Amino acid sequence: MNLLTITCAVLLSIPASVETDTTDLQIEEVTVTAPHRHVSYIVSQSSVEVDADYVTTQMQGSLAKSLESIAGVQASSIGSGLSRPAIRGLGFNRLAIIHDGIRHEGQQWGDDHGLEIDQFAIDNIEIIKGASALLYGSDAVGGAILLSSKSKSSICEEKSISGSTHIFARSNNTLIGVSTQVEGTRKSLHSTSSPHTFYWRLNATYQDYGDYSVPTDSFEYYSYRIPLYKRTLRNTAGREADGSLMLGYNTRHWHTCLRVYETWSQSGFFANAHGLEVRLSDIDYDHSQRDIDLPKQSVNHLKMLWHTAYIHDNWGMEVDAAWQHNLRREESEPVSHGYMPTPPNSMERQFSKHTATINASARWNVAAKHTLRFGLQSEMQHNRRSGWGFIIPDFEQYSVGVYAGEEWRVNSRWTLNAGVRYDFFHTHIHAYNDWYLTPIGNTAIYQERSASLARHFHSFTWSAGVRYTHRGWTFKANIGKAFRTPIAKELGADGINYHIFRYEAGNSALNPEQSYQADLSLAWENDFVRVQADPFVGYFPNYIYLSPTPDYREGLQLYRYTQAQVIRAGAEAILTFRPWRHLDISVQGEYLFARQLSGDKKGYGLPFSPPWRLMPEVKFHWGKESKINNSKSKTIGKGFAAINVRVCGAQRDIVPPEKPTDGWWTLNLSAGQRFVLRTCLLSITLKADNILNTKYYDHTSYYRLIDIPEAGWNLSAMVGVEF
Amino acid sequence: MKKNLFLALCLCAIYIGFTACENKSKDDTPPMIDDASFLPADCDIYYIGDTIQVHFVCSDDTELGNYNIEIHNNFDHHTHSTSASDCGHEGEHHDEEDTEHDHEHTTAEGAWVYNQDFPIARGLKGDTVDVNIPVPVEATDGDYHFMLRLTDRAGWQTIKAVAIHLHEQGE
Repeated sequence: MNLLTITCAVLLSIPASVETDTTDLQIEEVTVTAPHRHVSYIVSQSSVEVDADYVTTQMQGSLAKSLESIAGVQASSIGSGLSRPAIRGLGFNRLAIIHDGIRHEGQQWGDDHGLEIDQFAIDNIEIIKGASALLYGSDAVGGAILLSSKSKSSICEEKSISGSTHIFARSNNTLIGVSTQVEGTRKSLHSTSSPHTFYWRLNATYQDYGDYSVPTDSFEYYSYRIPLYKRTLRNTAGREADGSLMLGYNTRHWHTCLRVYETWSQSGFFANAHGLEVRLSDIDYDHSQRDIDLPKQSVNHLKMLWHTAYIHDNWGMEVDAAWQHNLRREESEPVSHGYMPTPPNSMERQFSKHTATINASARWNVAAKHTLRFGLQSEMQHNRRSGWGFIIPDFEQYSVGVYAGEEWRVNSRWTLNAGVRYDFFHTHIHAYNDWYLTPIGNTAIYQERSASLARHFHSFTWSAGVRYTHRGWTFKANIGKAFRTPIAKELGADGINYHIFRYEAGNSALNPEQSYQADLSLAWENDFVRVQADPFVGYFPNYIYLSPTPDYREGLQLYRYTQAQVIRAGAEAILTFRPWRHLDISVQGEYLFARQLSGDKKGYGLPFSPPWRLMPEVKFHWGKESKINNSKSKTIGKGFAAINVRVCGAQRDIVPPEKPTDGWWTLNLSAGQRFVLRTCLLSITLKADNILNTKYYDHTSYYRLIDIPEAGWNLSAMVGVEF
Repeated sequence: MKKNLFLALCLCAIYIGFTACENKSKDDTPPMIDDASFLPADCDIYYIGDTIQVHFVCSDDTELGNYNIEIHNNFDHHTHSTSASDCGHEGEHHDEEDTEHDHEHTTAEGAWVYNQDFPIARGLKGDTVDVNIPVPVEATDGDYHFMLRLTDRAGWQTIKAVAIHLHEQGE
């Protein structure tokens, strides 16, 4: 009974259901054999879960890129070290990144912003496809990515201190990196009836990479031929340093945990075409492939989280409090433009944003088959800008949301869940005027770029679903409404975006974007075969869209935020076949369709729409056997060798200013082996990407608009020691 | 569950309905500027006080949008050029004239800036445009960029840029 209730508690904890390290620890203390838990409690939603091993064996330079090999997840890369994730083509602020129970702030402000998370400090990732507003509020329109860290006590339960170190390298961008984790627990020896445990963990990662290479000597942009020195993209080098600390304390019913994450990165933007315009510069970019010249960006993200939970047999409560600070600097060579004189320095833009979050939730098992949940989420944001370029105004934003949901476990096969949520938002945008004069008639004025604006938003959302499991069959259906509030840029932008050289006009009349989505997930498995299909259809009555207009403002094309009806549909499918206990043959595929049904871009799709993809793989593995299950792609056994092909369709369904992108395929190899050395576990992983050095364009890549192909062949190697 | 399935099927039906009656003739191509007849030509030299005669022929398969002409200095040797030619003017400034001169230009705020948006009448698929732009007498001499930006009604844009040089009268 105890095992059951506590397992339930894990399943049901909201929304910090991701915040399960402490819970897991407790399970291990109480029950020793804890079953693997589901992170999201909405059992009717289509989801994929992967662990730290999956991320490390992907050996990509950034987290979103590591998740790209999951059907339904796309990554938009910005050079080799930064990437942004998208679920079924929806990224930016149509996707909630929930890190240890708290909404992560960082990637949703611009095309060239990365995720700002150390992928080596993550132990578990769950990708929830489809509308997830009920638990995560605004932004969870396309879905949610739940990142969680927990103590890895499985390796050495008997030891008080354990850890791991990974050293990794990539040939394409001459990356070298190291990541180390050390963790420990201290159990109180007295009072065995109510054990107390103190635990801690330290994590540090550093990586440094040079300009990345592409399989071409030059490329053409606007009929301007740009030669590449040694086939590398000038000034795309970067470095990243991350550190984190976790301190926790457990008793039988209580756990509390403090986490501090710091992420720092600096990376260059491709020098010859920053934004859409071709540029030449006096900077000698080619003298080193590892230095970072202008234009460049540097990012500092500090996050502090505190989590406390009380878990009892029939009820539980959790409180999360967090503070985040995003400090982002974008520097470029000062260049006069229009009436703007040459700026005095290279500080084009700086954002300093503070975010404070407090969440509380409660669970109550009202009857044997019924569980109720309640929650309150509140957030405050404070943003200040500086620099000579203007896009995002200063703003303050407050939000509060309340939700209630019920889960009804009808019998061993059927589970129903439903919930409702209400949110209130307040945004206050500050006025901004140019720092230089613009002549208007006979006078000259400091033009207003953003007007002072205060808006309130309300939103009511709901979700309902069902899950059926019986004899290898799993059927899930979910329907829900999600929303996102317009961000300050969409409401208040009124100026030139120097990154893309266009004039962006916000729209202070925008309403919260609504989304209705229905998802199905059907899976069947036996000992040899696993088949899964996840179709979906979604409708936006008022999708917020930055529409290019035929008009000009201040010499640049005017892009205006508008709202349009949009319909989306698509599916992912996975087939895994195990003809022999050491061999897995699998194919994953995805397809997505989107149409704007109203507005001036009626008949067009949506920007950055990923084309169809197929990912066949043959994997030979030895050592310990595992259950055939693709939804938890774990490194299997002691060793593996795999060959996979990535096939991507052409994307002709484009919107201005995109270009049609041809289809492509790449061939990739990977292999790994684990060895036991005394008390340590040594692992070696090798990976060869794009071994044919295929020149191809990724439709969702940031550099696609300026005709830069994707990275050429790459060899990665990683050596890890777990002690 | 039946209700959810029903709703999902309804949405599917709506979606099929929408796609069936969808207008497939969306404009997927940017407007065109005829290179051969384009004036000013790359590397053209003008005297301060003269008039730059702009002439171009443009077309679009659906409907033309608007255009913008921008002339800005290239004293700091950045380029937005869509033409690959190097007229040698920049080189002259760099190599023969000393850096002091260069510096003077880069910081000179009196450099000529011309930036004007022009409408094209609605409903046109092709147009021939002639614009006369007088070079003001107070303009500073040196290298300039002439840029033409042209849109179509759907929001596609084509950019044409050429390098021009302004001389003092009698230089």
